[in-house]
Amino acid sequence: MSRPCRVNVNGRIVEVPSGTLLTDAAREAEVHVPIFCSHGKLPPLGACRICVVEVGMPKLGPDRQPVLGAGGQPEIAWMPKVQTACTTTVSDGMHVLTESPAAVKARKGVMEFLLVNHPLDCPVCDEGGECQLQDLAFAFGHDFSRMDEAKRTFDSEDLGPVVKKEANRCIVCMRCVRYCDEVMGDDALTAHQRGVWTEISSFNRQPLECEQCGNCIEVCPVGALTALPYRFKARPWDLRQHVTVCPYCSNGCSVRLGVRGAEVLRARGTEFRGINREYLCVRGRFGYEFINSPERLSTPLLKLGGTLEPAGFDEAVTFAASRLGEIAAVHGPASIAFLGGEKVTVEEAYLFQKLARAVLGTNHVDSRTRWPAAVPGRAVLKATGGGRPALTFEELVHAQEVLILGDDLQGEGPFAQAQVIRGQHQHGLHLTVAHPRRVKLAGVKFQGLWLDYRPGAELPLLQALTRAALDLPRPSGLPAEVLEGLPALEQALAPWTPSRVEQATGLSMASIADAARRLREAERKAVLFGRALTEHPEALALLHAVENLAWLCGALSAERSAVMYVGPQNDTQGALDMGLLPDCLPGYVAVEDAQGRRAFEQQWGGPLPSVPGKTAPEILEAAAAGEIKALWIVSDNWLRSAPDRRLAEQALGEAELVIVNELFLTETARAAHVVFPASSFAEKEGVMVNCERRLQKNVRALSPRKGSRPDWEIFQSVAQALGARWSYRTVEDVFREIARLAPNYRGMHWASLLPSGAQWASADRPVVPGSLGGADGAGATRDEVAARAGGGAATDGAPSPSAPAGLVLLSGGVLFLQGSLSQRGSLLPRLARAARASLHPEEAKRLRVAAGEPLEIEGSAGHIRLPVAIDPGVPEGSVFVPYAHADVDLNRLGAPGRAGLRVTARRATELERIGAG
Amino acid sequence: MTETHDGLVTVAAPEALEWPAACRGEIERVLSRYPNRRSAVLPVLWIAQRQWGWISAGALRLVARTVELPEPEVFGIATFYTMFNLAPVGRHHLQVCMTISCSLMGADRLFRHLEERLGIGHGQTTADGRFTLRRVECLAACGGAPCLQVGFAYHENLDEAKVDALLETLP
Amino acid sequence: MSASRGPLLFQDIDTPGLRSLEVYRGQGGYQTIGTVVGAKTPDECIEIVKASGLRGRGGAGFPTGLKWSFVPKGSPKPKYLVCNADESEPGTFKDRELMEKNPHLLIEGMILSAYAIQAHVGYLYLRGEFEYLQRILGQAIGEAQVAGLLGDDIAGSGFRLELHTHLGAGAYICGEETALLSSLEGYRGQPRLKPPFPAVEGLYACPTIVNNVETLMNVPHILRHGAQWFRQWGTEKSPGTKILSVSGPVQRPGNHEVPMGLPLSALLEGPCGGMREGFRVKAVIPGGSSVPLLPASRLDTGLDFESMAAAGTLLGSGGVIVIDDQTCIVDALYNITRFYEHESCGKCTPCREGTYWMSEVFERLESGHGRERDIDLLFDVSDNILGKSFCALGDAAAMPVMGAIQHFREEFEYHVKHKRCLVNRRRAELEARFGETAAV
Repeated sequence: MSRPCRVNVNGRIVEVPSGTLLTDAAREAEVHVPIFCSHGKLPPLGACRICVVEVGMPKLGPDRQPVLGAGGQPEIAWMPKVQTACTTTVSDGMHVLTESPAAVKARKGVMEFLLVNHPLDCPVCDEGGECQLQDLAFAFGHDFSRMDEAKRTFDSEDLGPVVKKEANRCIVCMRCVRYCDEVMGDDALTAHQRGVWTEISSFNRQPLECEQCGNCIEVCPVGALTALPYRFKARPWDLRQHVTVCPYCSNGCSVRLGVRGAEVLRARGTEFRGINREYLCVRGRFGYEFINSPERLSTPLLKLGGTLEPAGFDEAVTFAASRLGEIAAVHGPASIAFLGGEKVTVEEAYLFQKLARAVLGTNHVDSRTRWPAAVPGRAVLKATGGGRPALTFEELVHAQEVLILGDDLQGEGPFAQAQVIRGQHQHGLHLTVAHPRRVKLAGVKFQGLWLDYRPGAELPLLQALTRAALDLPRPSGLPAEVLEGLPALEQALAPWTPSRVEQATGLSMASIADAARRLREAERKAVLFGRALTEHPEALALLHAVENLAWLCGALSAERSAVMYVGPQNDTQGALDMGLLPDCLPGYVAVEDAQGRRAFEQQWGGPLPSVPGKTAPEILEAAAAGEIKALWIVSDNWLRSAPDRRLAEQALGEAELVIVNELFLTETARAAHVVFPASSFAEKEGVMVNCERRLQKNVRALSPRKGSRPDWEIFQSVAQALGARWSYRTVEDVFREIARLAPNYRGMHWASLLPSGAQWASADRPVVPGSLGGADGAGATRDEVAARAGGGAATDGAPSPSAPAGLVLLSGGVLFLQGSLSQRGSLLPRLARAARASLHPEEAKRLRVAAGEPLEIEGSAGHIRLPVAIDPGVPEGSVFVPYAHADVDLNRLGAPGRAGLRVTARRATELERIGAG
Repeated sequence: MTETHDGLVTVAAPEALEWPAACRGEIERVLSRYPNRRSAVLPVLWIAQRQWGWISAGALRLVARTVELPEPEVFGIATFYTMFNLAPVGRHHLQVCMTISCSLMGADRLFRHLEERLGIGHGQTTADGRFTLRRVECLAACGGAPCLQVGFAYHENLDEAKVDALLETLP
Repeated sequence: MSASRGPLLFQDIDTPGLRSLEVYRGQGGYQTIGTVVGAKTPDECIEIVKASGLRGRGGAGFPTGLKWSFVPKGSPKPKYLVCNADESEPGTFKDRELMEKNPHLLIEGMILSAYAIQAHVGYLYLRGEFEYLQRILGQAIGEAQVAGLLGDDIAGSGFRLELHTHLGAGAYICGEETALLSSLEGYRGQPRLKPPFPAVEGLYACPTIVNNVETLMNVPHILRHGAQWFRQWGTEKSPGTKILSVSGPVQRPGNHEVPMGLPLSALLEGPCGGMREGFRVKAVIPGGSSVPLLPASRLDTGLDFESMAAAGTLLGSGGVIVIDDQTCIVDALYNITRFYEHESCGKCTPCREGTYWMSEVFERLESGHGRERDIDLLFDVSDNILGKSFCALGDAAAMPVMGAIQHFREEFEYHVKHKRCLVNRRRAELEARFGETAAV
């Protein structure tokens, strides 16, 4: 395929791989060929015809040799018609002319045709100034119009709350329709009618039933589709535009913020940059309102008496430092714990743990505040293959088999979902979705395998998959440690007979074996997991199982294959990398590892604690028990993120000192003694690491909100007040120190990270190679895991639908909301609508509730009330409640057990405000 | 299948539609002809039109469900082709060919005559619901120009007198 | 037996009851199922058809045997045969009569062609207006099935074939083979990129041959009698006969089968019986509305692919539209342009926007507001469509207008200058349409 072809474009010769499109070859030759319908993520269409060029090939004589003309140059046989460069692939020796009289006339002709019915309303068009039609008309068109007949006209319409349509401006390039279909998998847009009356719209002109991502607006080359929220707000030349990293999920899309004054007026994709290019999900595109929110904290707050009062920054720093110092002196460093940090930059995460370890001397540091189980810090790293190069989104599109374990990518990683959909549509990707609910990707149209396991049966499912994988031929390239562990694993999984698998998971062994076989047999494959496994009481066993399955199916040894952890926040990965873990220093250097520790001690100027600290759930317990006296919580609304609301409330009540860095006065901030107003992502620099483990640079798009500071400045001020000799002038100073110390970031250069840098990988250290059973010293022993793998299964009481004991509470992300930031504007909450409890129609019948009626859900620790929604995609024996809505505190219900969170549900007599525990 | 001619009956179709039993066998037969359900979209749209005389939004949704296609796409398909009636039509759908051969032989005159005689224009239906009049493009009956179709039935070599006589035969 | 109307396909076309299997067999129908299917190899069939020189009768005139030979050998994918019975080119109505009267000949042709390319499923794509033909063909297919001529083991040969009819729903563009395939697959009937050509990646991305009705109906005759026999008619490069659909004010409009190469004048004087009383030929559109017209001075042109091309037009689908001396060329071309505007699928810019623009300019000329520059504008707009559109529909809209301006520029100029037609027997209709300013 990649045989090089020499192509002559306007006399300039470029060498490109065969199969290259002429549009790309021309770009290579620095010749501008205009396009409209062509789009990098869509197959060639050849519809708009603006890219017409003249194409010729050397004339061949009877001997199949090129005929040479005068001057010894090969004679060119020009094709009789102009050709569309966007659909023509190069051949060796091809000649292309973009400026010949025929090419120019054809292009001008098409340009003129495009303007036949296009209104000349540029002065009132939101696209004006960044309209491709405007630009190309300027570059290639006539300076007068020969078309003075009446134009064909359509009425304008609003296609729902985000898309404004002016069909008269449409040039029928079909990008929006095709993008919606092939990339988003939504099929919400379609072309109506035909010919000159072709009009893009929805079913019967109703509001679009889709993800409301607005990518149709983004790919529209003209002003036919524009964003309602941005309508008539600004002209593009009035905006300062900055490409930075989206603050929402762990996919880490580049987002282009349009800023005027101190206000962000819009967010757009980047077209030619970033991992996502033009793509943004609804949160990324319309979730910027929180930056401008008047509710942002604008001054530090101190609780000296019973209430939080505004204070000066220095005053707050002095207070925080002196109280931390006192508590450390009185109760010892182990009475201090630091939590959170999944949403701050890498540099901030680094300084946060440095402050804990080097200045205060505590290893009680953990960013994994949602995790209900104590899990070694390197468990995720191991499950993803250690320092092995991580999966890229480009590889995900081209994977032949993708296995998604328990997560709904629509909520947890919309860009990953879009890549999978595009792969399915364009590259023959096959999808296996293990999820109890019929989530979007489990839909029929994606033609995948849906493993709708019984709610709570995550572990039996993974063990059954591993059991099935053991029967398949071993992939080559398995490390010795893995091979050594196999007999023990075989033994441990032996009890998983088909009937037991079926009993525990509700799935046939045949379908599970089919999934394992597909993963094993695919050449390029990907396994994705996220919160469904990590926020599970059996998280450690599940992570081991993922690792086992991945090794056995070759997902960790095959080329262009990997396991991806789709974490909950935009810098979840960076927080792990930077040692916001109780047992790891930055770069996963174990705190007990004296040699590894030494480098840090030398740089940081003092001895570091060598005993692993407590994990987040252990900190929760210890704080609630009064053993932890001081908590510093960064960018984490802990009262909502902690697995048990009651314990978290108790912990915050017990603690002598609670410091919170936040943008808003959250429930957690209200319970603090010191609140530092933090700057938003748009107001600071720093590196973020996405789920590809790619380092990307956040860019300062506007000045920090008055009164707020970037978190790193807050940490430095407190450290200095505690006597540390920190003197970072810029974020870059911090990054340079990280790149010197953290083994996995070694060699990374600050300057190369904009907007998207490299993925980190480390062939040598610090990662333990995969070991089946996970006996890495920090995790469970092989025996323990084996015991879990086999033994617990029979009693792993996966509930049966008819069990009278109640329902399993299923939760998950929703597309329109993520975390507190998304709820600070008006658009996203409006799109998300109120939270509801979804039930299978049969379950609703059993509970005698109808849609809209109030449902009381009772857990071991509390209850919530929500209106009912009926959804046949929710399995019987369960109730689905999204965890994103600010007014639904699922952690009030109690902590989940091994087979999930068991609740009872009944129809409530009246619908009260939700939330009272 | 039913006789051709103009089997179109105007029935206001309710929004939430199901296939009547009579259609189900035919739908199954149609689906069996193709390797995927999508290919059956035109045949199933035809079945809907034959059943209800026209294709309402509810019928489009039903068709989309039947052939497992997104509803918007079925809408786009149905509007691409000219023969699907997306609004009710009269008992007799008079489709007068206006293309070149018929035009050479007097199609304009014929159409104008029908307009005057029925008191309706292109795309309109008589108040009694008996006739819908429509200009259409070439019907492949150029040798018998001018021609029209009533429903699916061809009538060729027409003039004013012949078309008047034809109308008399249509109840 | 009724009188023969032509040497080959029309020889027995009016035989009473020919639609029935019994009568068709009585005339020697389906003999090839025994002598060809299973008896000759598929490659032999392709070679015979190649040797016969049979060319596609749908419009493009591509050699049929050559097209078949493009089907990749040994491809594991299923292969499909599709009969293009969309017959939508204005002025063409031959396939309708052929299918109505002799459906079994088409079925036999499809069996043989499917055998040659080793297709086991065939679809017959009928334009929506041909609903009654769906019943006729459906009945004939049923009869053939019962007789073992279709199905799992055709006449004991081991070859299997199922045939299905598929009804379009009103779209000229579906006569274009890739648009037809889109439509058959359940998409909006828009053309697709070529390459890949259907023979390699057609229906459901599998090798597919799309042949016109008349083409397929020639196949049984060729395989029964041999390539040389077929070449007794026609010219060296255009062998065989052609059914010409004649419309306009001639004495005997309708379908006439003649040997290829017969001069157009001979067709009009002979089978058509000359012009109707009071009419004279001004121009003839020889191959359906999408080809340039021939002025009366060129009626000596032979009815074959080469002669027509040499005369600057195309044999096309054989839709011979006779334009009389009392018809205004501007008016006629306005009608044709409106047709293409109506039928443009909207996929590509030149055709979608250009046909609209041309219609608007024509409307200006017709309504008596024409300007001198409009004639050159029309020509240039057509020129900007020609060769730049996605499929041939754009060319079909452009070529007739360019040809008309070349041959009858004075009628356009007269329109502009005098705000009326040089001639027009349809004056009354146009006045009614455009009011007093009508340029008629």
